[in-house]
Amino acid sequence: MIMNGHPEARARRDYILEQKRGFGRRVIGVFPAYYPRELLLSMNILPVEIWDPPLESSHANAHLQSYICSVVKQGLELILQGKCRDLDAFLFPHTCDSIQNLASIVNDYLGIEKPCYFFYHPKAPYKESSRWYYIKQLEDLALRLEKQFGPLNHHEFKKKVEQGEDLRRTIGELYRRRAEGTLGLSNVEFYRILRQVEYLHPDDFLPVLTAILKRPPDRKSKGLAVIVSGILPNPPEVLEHLDRLGINVADDDFLSCSRRLLARPAISTVPFEAMADSYFGMQPCCTKGSAIEDRLKSILDKAKSSSAKGVIFQMVKFCEPELFDVPILVEGLKAEGLATLVIDTELNQGMSGQLVTRLEAFAEMIG
Amino acid sequence: MSLARKLRYGFMKDVGAPLVMGLAGVKSRSKNIRKPDPLFGPPLKCAERLKEIMTRHYFLSRYAEGAKPVAWVTSGAPVELLRAFDFYTIYPENHGALCGAQKLGPELCAVAEEKGYHQDLCSYARIDLGVCFSGKTPVGRLPKPDLLFASNNICQTVMYWYRVLSHKWKIPLLVFDTPFNFGQISRSEINYMVMQFEEMIPVLERISGKRLDQKAFENVMRLGKESAMAWGEILAAMKTVPSPMTIFDAFVHLAPIVSLRGLPVTLDYYNILLSELKDRISKGIGAIINERKRLMWDNIAIWYKVRDFSRLFAEKGMNFVAATYTNAWAETISYMDETRPMESLAKAYSLVILNNNLDHRLNLMERLIDEYHVDGLVIHSARSCKPYSVGQYDLKRLLMERKGIPSVVIEADITDYRAYSEEQTRTRLEAFFEALEGGS
Repeated sequence: MIMNGHPEARARRDYILEQKRGFGRRVIGVFPAYYPRELLLSMNILPVEIWDPPLESSHANAHLQSYICSVVKQGLELILQGKCRDLDAFLFPHTCDSIQNLASIVNDYLGIEKPCYFFYHPKAPYKESSRWYYIKQLEDLALRLEKQFGPLNHHEFKKKVEQGEDLRRTIGELYRRRAEGTLGLSNVEFYRILRQVEYLHPDDFLPVLTAILKRPPDRKSKGLAVIVSGILPNPPEVLEHLDRLGINVADDDFLSCSRRLLARPAISTVPFEAMADSYFGMQPCCTKGSAIEDRLKSILDKAKSSSAKGVIFQMVKFCEPELFDVPILVEGLKAEGLATLVIDTELNQGMSGQLVTRLEAFAEMIG
Repeated sequence: MSLARKLRYGFMKDVGAPLVMGLAGVKSRSKNIRKPDPLFGPPLKCAERLKEIMTRHYFLSRYAEGAKPVAWVTSGAPVELLRAFDFYTIYPENHGALCGAQKLGPELCAVAEEKGYHQDLCSYARIDLGVCFSGKTPVGRLPKPDLLFASNNICQTVMYWYRVLSHKWKIPLLVFDTPFNFGQISRSEINYMVMQFEEMIPVLERISGKRLDQKAFENVMRLGKESAMAWGEILAAMKTVPSPMTIFDAFVHLAPIVSLRGLPVTLDYYNILLSELKDRISKGIGAIINERKRLMWDNIAIWYKVRDFSRLFAEKGMNFVAATYTNAWAETISYMDETRPMESLAKAYSLVILNNNLDHRLNLMERLIDEYHVDGLVIHSARSCKPYSVGQYDLKRLLMERKGIPSVVIEADITDYRAYSEEQTRTRLEAFFEALEGGS
């Protein structure tokens, strides 16, 4: 998993190799978005997520049309450029039509010699059957993984599920402190740290978060607040520019961040049941089929609790699940007096001059 | 449901519709006296009957609101369950195709786009939302639904789209969630789908005000199965050389199995069509006069180009005899079993082409190429349909390697012709025609 010239990519690769050598961990490349992380960790597997590798897309164009989003394209590019040598397998959650078919291309057509695992999670509106099926899916995935990675240790599983709860609680506290404006991190710093969840083992990630939370509250950072929504905070230049404009991202509705990293506390202490509690206790999300009004309410609640003045929808071009929700969300937010801005972005492509101007105009409007 | 509306619906069904259809039929017959076309065999006689059926369906739908429970349904949803509760069903995808064929796609899509729905979204969805926002439709008026019924066995898009409808009208959305078959369907997946049906029944009973009539359900299942089997036989008739119909005909005659599945009219109609095809086969009548090459189509039709493509290919002596798309409504019918309705519906609806991995599609296409004696393949890369389109470049390459047949990819859209380039398509097709002729 290497983009040799890119410092964060290099850090990831060094970390992966260290995990393999130092802890005998195996590594699975995981495509977006929802997957049972704790199950993998309990089998001494390190999940390394593939959201937006910083690559020039060339090989993937021979497999994917021009109207396919860059999350899917960049992920395939990573594989085609031979940069997944350190991985032991891939895991494809069923997130959208494009990732679904990407999984099939990789598994059926590319002839790569790495096992591919698939994980289907039930789509809302949820019923009793949804929970039953989700637990069956977890059990089934465990059985499939056991064939490659050895038996699931139930004691370890329980510990990792508890650790997952701890992690969610800690990330929740990080979000809370940011919303009240006492965290003292810039937008860029916040997401640079948070996104380490995509590859760091929780044994290493939790202490990073805890150290930040132990720092004395920094009240200077309370400024003009906005919520940012979308798939993931990329290109990072958007965050940099918001920092320059003195606008604080007080909360987010990113799929890669709050939508899957935060959840209501689990009720059950039985690991599979607790994981189901977490999945169904996550925030509303279009890729899971949640009602749009639930998502609107969730964003409105965030805006209220963080005193945000507006919401920026940072769209990945061609992302159908997001694009269907946006008009209703924009209408609903405007009705509540919140300013909205919808921007189209391509991963790792920086910001156009036009986008800079639009962000500045938005800042003036809410200022 | 109000009594007055029920009486009005009954009157329009028994008196109004036959009268209107009769008048429309006379008008249409006098207008459609066509000269024989030197490129094509005689037109299918039953096409007039199909027009009557579909016109009647949309005509009556105007009077269904308030008289019968109305549902808007996705093309791949197991409608048999709704039929047992006597729902009047509207298929926005079928309606979208109709709008596309009448070249209304961009106009209706633009209405949705003005409301913020991006041009990159599925054009069936944009047309439907455009219709909802503007009330414009070539069929007069669509009834407002009491229920939305979507299955993600064809795409996840329908789930996003129907959530918008559910929000707009504040009506319930039933989702039949069919786990994608990355490998083999498992027992827990079948159980999950059966459980969903069981959970739907109280909702359907509440909305329709009726209890589930097991006998009526079994009858619908039987009719649905027999209609789909007849549809399968109709498609199989195209194995004959020369083929008695083209896939462009099949795109049109598909409407009843999509929109009126499980109703007696569909089975009756397909029996008429089948009998006409058998007659043509016995007399050696082909759909095109000079069938020299036989082709297969992949993906949904380019609705605004059906007529043009039909002529273009017929001029070259090329006939489309198979399509993965039309096959979808016949492919899994063997799983249907009215004695085990829920489980068999789960299998029949979750094992369809678009809910299956690409290897499944490759094997299916290889089989169709052999059985239908296919010489070439036209692949429609449809911007609107990602589950159908993602993977097509690999399918093209693999089919060339395995079957040695030439193929071409047309970049277009199902209904929005703003995403279609005539020049680019012609250039690609010319190269394809050359490759195909070179292989003869």
